[in-house]
Amino acid sequence: MNKLILLIVLLLPGTFTFAQQKHTISGTLKARKNGESLIGASVRSKNTGTVTNEYGFYSLTLPKGAHTIEISSMGLQTASLNIVLTRDTIINLALEESSSTLNEVVINGTTQGRSIKGTQMGIEKLTTKEMKNIPMLLGERDVMKAIQLLPGIKSAGEGNAGFFVRGGAADQNLILLDEAPVYNASHLLGFFSTFNSDAIKDVTVYKGGMPAQYGGRLSSVLDIKMNDGNDQDYNVSGGIGLISSKLNVEGPVQKGKSSFLISGRRTYADMFLKLSSDTTLNNNKLYFYDLNGKINYQLGDRDKIYLSGYFGADKLGVGDNFGLKWGNGTGTLRWNHIINSKLFSNTSLIFSNYSYEISIKNGANDVKLYSQIRDWNIKEEIQWYASDKHNVRIGLNSIYHTMRPGDITSSAGSSFNSEDFQKRYSWENALYLSDVWKTTEKFNVSYGLRVTAFSILGGGDFYNLDKDGNVKDTMHYKSGEFVKTYLNLEPRLAMSYQLNSSASIKASYVRNVQNLHLISNSTTSSPTDKWVASTNIIKPEISDQVSLGYYKNLAGNKYELTVETYYKTMQHQIDYRDGADVFVNGSIETQLLFGKGRAYGVEWLLKKKAGKLTGWVSYTLSKTERKIDGINSGAWYNARQDRTHDIAIVAMYQLNEKWTLSANWIYYTGDAVSFPSGKYTVGNEVYYYYTQRNGYRMPNYHRLDIGATKQLKVRKHWSSELAFSLYNAYGRENAYTITFRTNKDDASKTEAVQTALFKFIPSISYNFKFR
Amino acid sequence: MKLLINMAILLVFITSCEKVIDVNLDSVAKKYVIEGNITNEPGTCQVKITQTKDFDEDNTFPGVSGATVTVSDNGGTPVVLTETSTGVYETTAINGTIGHTYTLTVNIGDLTFTAPSTIPVLVPIDSIYIDDQSLFGDVKKVATLMYKDPEGKGNGYHFIQYKNGVRESTIFVRNDDYTDGNEITTSLLSFNDDDDEDENKIKTGDTIRVVMECIDPAGYKYWSSLEAASGNSNNATPANPVTNITGGALGYFSAHTTEERTIVVP
Repeated sequence: MNKLILLIVLLLPGTFTFAQQKHTISGTLKARKNGESLIGASVRSKNTGTVTNEYGFYSLTLPKGAHTIEISSMGLQTASLNIVLTRDTIINLALEESSSTLNEVVINGTTQGRSIKGTQMGIEKLTTKEMKNIPMLLGERDVMKAIQLLPGIKSAGEGNAGFFVRGGAADQNLILLDEAPVYNASHLLGFFSTFNSDAIKDVTVYKGGMPAQYGGRLSSVLDIKMNDGNDQDYNVSGGIGLISSKLNVEGPVQKGKSSFLISGRRTYADMFLKLSSDTTLNNNKLYFYDLNGKINYQLGDRDKIYLSGYFGADKLGVGDNFGLKWGNGTGTLRWNHIINSKLFSNTSLIFSNYSYEISIKNGANDVKLYSQIRDWNIKEEIQWYASDKHNVRIGLNSIYHTMRPGDITSSAGSSFNSEDFQKRYSWENALYLSDVWKTTEKFNVSYGLRVTAFSILGGGDFYNLDKDGNVKDTMHYKSGEFVKTYLNLEPRLAMSYQLNSSASIKASYVRNVQNLHLISNSTTSSPTDKWVASTNIIKPEISDQVSLGYYKNLAGNKYELTVETYYKTMQHQIDYRDGADVFVNGSIETQLLFGKGRAYGVEWLLKKKAGKLTGWVSYTLSKTERKIDGINSGAWYNARQDRTHDIAIVAMYQLNEKWTLSANWIYYTGDAVSFPSGKYTVGNEVYYYYTQRNGYRMPNYHRLDIGATKQLKVRKHWSSELAFSLYNAYGRENAYTITFRTNKDDASKTEAVQTALFKFIPSISYNFKFR
Repeated sequence: MKLLINMAILLVFITSCEKVIDVNLDSVAKKYVIEGNITNEPGTCQVKITQTKDFDEDNTFPGVSGATVTVSDNGGTPVVLTETSTGVYETTAINGTIGHTYTLTVNIGDLTFTAPSTIPVLVPIDSIYIDDQSLFGDVKKVATLMYKDPEGKGNGYHFIQYKNGVRESTIFVRNDDYTDGNEITTSLLSFNDDDDEDENKIKTGDTIRVVMECIDPAGYKYWSSLEAASGNSNNATPANPVTNITGGALGYFSAHTTEERTIVVP
């Protein structure tokens, strides 16, 4: 380790000046009220400053002598400390709640994440506070839906938990919950996400310029961190809504040091079904539940242990005939260790699991299909606050994936055979190094390199295909044997130049590599979509993205304007052959085609952060295309998620101390889809003739949602509120699908039929807090 | 409470608002559509040729006359089919034989289309009965067949169901990827009667006739991909079915066995 650090020291450009004696202040920052560690809080002395890391730790090296240290974090009171620095000093601090009344929610400084000074671009952050008042379907606050109101992040549509970032597919987003990858973030067939907003502390989306510690997906990283739990007082909060209820309990284990949190949620739509006398309905099941738990324990001054977990499941049943259950489980055991005032270490052992089971019962046939993806994952990262100019991260990550594409279990007497599809094993390793270098007061650079090695392991059969996609020969590998290793270098570079005190420009380049690919039999996300690893034929997907941005704070930081533009190329993109059947045992590659992609666009965001009216306007103009041999004669064609225009307007208005009103309006160009261009007859039935992939457009989508929250009487230990919302307020019938069929009354005619899901969905929910 | 129940129902069975819309679909150059069948019944070999039409046109598909249509038996001399009515070409000169490969050749103007197909081994129907199945809360009468799949993968089956002489539009196609070598019980379930349109439902006294065709793997691929391409924009790849005809025509050429059973619904 020492040698490695020495080596890095030598490599760091513009290394240390020894002219002046320097000392380091370091420590951990928290919120006084609940003891939650503060992420991204700012610690500054005049022009030098730093921010706390994801565990609230900071380290700032300053010249010997007197300093005024300003410590601030969004929504909290700024602390100002006068110190005389004569040696390395530890300052741990808890910041008080902001005293400002509700009427003037002043978000001081810049928004978390987006800073004029830092090099990070292509980043979006939302706090649960910001999300709180956005009206949502059935009043269920949902981080996944909320981030889709930001530029460059597009909703995959109603009934779809997926999202598209900068022209990438839904499987190109790395979704992390306390560092653990979540493979299917949807509940209730996509109407809700797996993230219970009560248990969430911080949500960060990287659309570009990802730091080197993140990797594994092409388009984005959605990094979600769970609350640690209140280490000051016991707290019980909850909510009762139309379709779900939730409860959150947290409290100290050792006051001021260690805490726990348990948060649970369950929907009960199906309970109402039981009340129905209609037998078609009351035999059905449809619900989900999830449970978040976390406990942390402080071991002395330098060590902290966290254990966090998530478990959630959905159950859907239609009488005895059809059942579908799916769910994620994650677990993270983490050890933070402060080696010294400049070195911070984090070690995590992570488990992720996603599985689903389909059961079908039809007459004598009783068949179950089980599928699973499971990861064991270990991460070690050292953050080294080398000097006031350099902040270095070095890390190692190793993941062992096991994929079980399908195990069929069949009852005795059934027509079906019990059969297990080939399991797949792979080992993903990454080593990374990055440095944030403050070259001058105005010019900052961060650069890094991520080296990834993805090894496909036996046992099992792998294939060679001919040019038509048929299996030419089969290769057998023994258990544990290396089939192939893909080694990739992923350079990361970001620069920022501060034009003046309120404006800056930034540029970045990032390469990402993805070795896990989602295979779907439908354009909408489904619990039964299947993850496959790279094979000898499925090559790692690679993307290169350059982006350029302009950042401006206006009217004394009341407004902020962000404009970013990007150009991205993608290699080894996957699409399906005509008539593909992805439910195959054996070579899935026979159903796939490979090619390249490109995406480019401009994103505007104007945010109002202070005053009675807050909110933002976001607009994205973009294009995303694919070029794959075997589709549309090898010409460039629009990817499904290509949407020229995408607009979101979000507004929240604090009417008085009791009432908050909110509204959002969304508009986007319809998805690119394949419609038939003609028709013909086979067996006297009419079928449709397709001429090109994604050559048509769905109708444009738009919708207005409105909401209102009433704060009820606040007592010493009890506070509560009522939240109302109206989804799709003007009842726009947005197309969910368009199908083509023969007119029922006049068989000589063919018609296109649009199906819309929602029209005016009102909801009411009651939330309470008890402490 | 009523509202709550409605909300729940809404979520479970998304009460979709359906409406007919205008979609501006391109007009494209016509393509030939070939439906060729030869069976193991002596003297049945028929080829129908039609053309695609624009979406907005009506649903009459006139036959294409004047094509030269031949079928050869296991590489033998091609037999010319004669046009018996507009766009329908037939011959009784070939007796389809199990295990033989037939090759269809169609010449229209400058275009040539060819397709091979093999009559697979005959798998007989063991029995047919009407099963009362409880489905989505309703009890539905469903025609159910039993047969014994031979050992070894690659068997494919295509069923055509007629109710009182009217052909059911659902495509019933099976293979033995997951059922190889088993006693098979398969129900011809269709969802065309979802809208409570009683006329589509099978009722006591109806006459059900089921034709079972044993088809080759290319035939299975055609029927299953045709089913997947039947007009829903949410399919992963709405596309033309995978045909065994080369030369750029739509449709299929299928050499298959045929056997049928009739049952009066008790």
